[in-house]
Amino acid sequence: MLLYGLDFLVFVGIFGIVALSLNLEFGFAGIANFGKVAFFLIGAYTYALLSKIGIPFPLCLIAGALTSALFGLLISLPALRLRTDYLAIAILAFGEILRLIVKSESWIAGGDWGTSVAPAISIAGASHHVGVLVNIGLVYFCLLICFVIAQLLANSPYGRVVRAIREDEIAAEALGKDRAKYKAQILMIGSAMVGVAGGLYVQYLHYVLPDMFVPMITFTVWIMVLLGGPGNNWGALLGAGLVELFKYGTNLAKPILPLDPINLQYILFGVLIILVLFYRPQGLLKESPIKTKALELVRYGKGVVNNKAGK
Amino acid sequence: MEEALLRISEVSKHFGGVYAVNAVDMEVKEGGIWGLVGPNGSGKTTLFNTILGLYKPDHGTVYFNGKCISNLAPHDIYAEGLVNAFQLPRLFYQMTVLDNMLVAARGHQGDRLVNSLFLRKGWQEQEKGLIDEAIEILEFVELGKWAFSPAGELSGGQRKLLEVARGLMAKPRLLLLDEPAAGINPALGKTIFQKLKDFSGNGTTFFIVEHRLEILFEFAKWVYVMYRGRVVTQGEPHDVADAPAFYQAYLGGG
Repeated sequence: MLLYGLDFLVFVGIFGIVALSLNLEFGFAGIANFGKVAFFLIGAYTYALLSKIGIPFPLCLIAGALTSALFGLLISLPALRLRTDYLAIAILAFGEILRLIVKSESWIAGGDWGTSVAPAISIAGASHHVGVLVNIGLVYFCLLICFVIAQLLANSPYGRVVRAIREDEIAAEALGKDRAKYKAQILMIGSAMVGVAGGLYVQYLHYVLPDMFVPMITFTVWIMVLLGGPGNNWGALLGAGLVELFKYGTNLAKPILPLDPINLQYILFGVLIILVLFYRPQGLLKESPIKTKALELVRYGKGVVNNKAGK
Repeated sequence: MEEALLRISEVSKHFGGVYAVNAVDMEVKEGGIWGLVGPNGSGKTTLFNTILGLYKPDHGTVYFNGKCISNLAPHDIYAEGLVNAFQLPRLFYQMTVLDNMLVAARGHQGDRLVNSLFLRKGWQEQEKGLIDEAIEILEFVELGKWAFSPAGELSGGQRKLLEVARGLMAKPRLLLLDEPAAGINPALGKTIFQKLKDFSGNGTTFFIVEHRLEILFEFAKWVYVMYRGRVVTQGEPHDVADAPAFYQAYLGGG
């Protein structure tokens, strides 16, 4: 039971990173990335292949981030020409194509059977519990970095421009903002984050399989972001926590459930998306306002400005 | 001869076989309010969109400040100081009024990715200055109280004012305005023009399309009249008002 709880924490951490990255893309920049899992896969396979040839794990994680970011840049090219809904389908297909490639090309990483991945940090003679604890440390360290980056971006003039592009691309372009550049940057950062998460994921599970990267992963992350509140980094984490809690909860309740919990999850996730979009489209947490030091100063030290204007 | 701030030379733009803008020559010199009038469908908005780089001209060239801008992207034209405010306000409705203003600031260091992550000290001071400027402009258009409200909560007239204020925030050399007085009460329309005139002392020139001729003619120093894609007459407002071509454009018969 304790192990189950620790395992839960690792998953919350990993999917917290994925949710943060989708929130950056969708919540702040309005890019409907329905191919999140593709970048997760790229990070995972990059990690698996590099760690096999003996490259130390921090470099594997960084390489996963960079490769994934590169593909993010590539995806940003059609992203600028396609309307949101068409883009969603295009990236979704991109993810499936990648999955089918690694599935059918067995020389890449064992094809359908996958391949084993060494854990990032293995301590000789340590119990499984310790291994999971080490993973919690590693995952939450990465999560912290991603969270700080996401918060810095959200609370800066850069984040303001990105939100403006989400609100009205044409107006933002007319106000001198190069939307192509901003969207490409956001897709690269988002993909880099999820690339790291992919590496963390496979080294924790000790193996990588093509079927770990089905489109359902993407939708699960979407539920996290929609539920938690798009445009709010805390919301993304909250959503990741709640959705994982739900998954682990239904798995625990397996003996008393009439259905296989996996199928039940799929059904309930669908219902959950509909309910959230109907009754709380803004998610559990509202979009966080832009906070910069200068803005805070004006807002909460209002007297200063009024005096100045009154002169 | 003094180089005009905006010079449009032989510009044509057609859609299929229809010439929306046909070999138009125009000059806007530094200072004051310049007007562009004409009946619906005469090509005013197409011309504006061509100046702004939203359309590429089929023929001819647009010069701004002596530089050819016909082939620049809209955001590069903006960087040159040629800015536009939309006819129907296109605000960022979920963002606060003040954030709407700050997006429009030209050359904000914090707009860059690297600066937002690492060199945060660098732009905080700049942002303070920009906020002061933004609040000053907002006070000027009587939106100061609303600085921290979402733009979506503003009334129709206030949205119009914010659209104009956002244009002013860029401290443009030339601000194009498409019907700033349309769809709002006459008194407010006049107030907007009065404020623009007051503001034009700060180094901003205005080029305005407007159907409310009585207001435009009161404030403009020079007016161009377009009809069927061509400039049919131009001059100071009282001269234009007496010109036969002007009547013909509006009352037809040509």
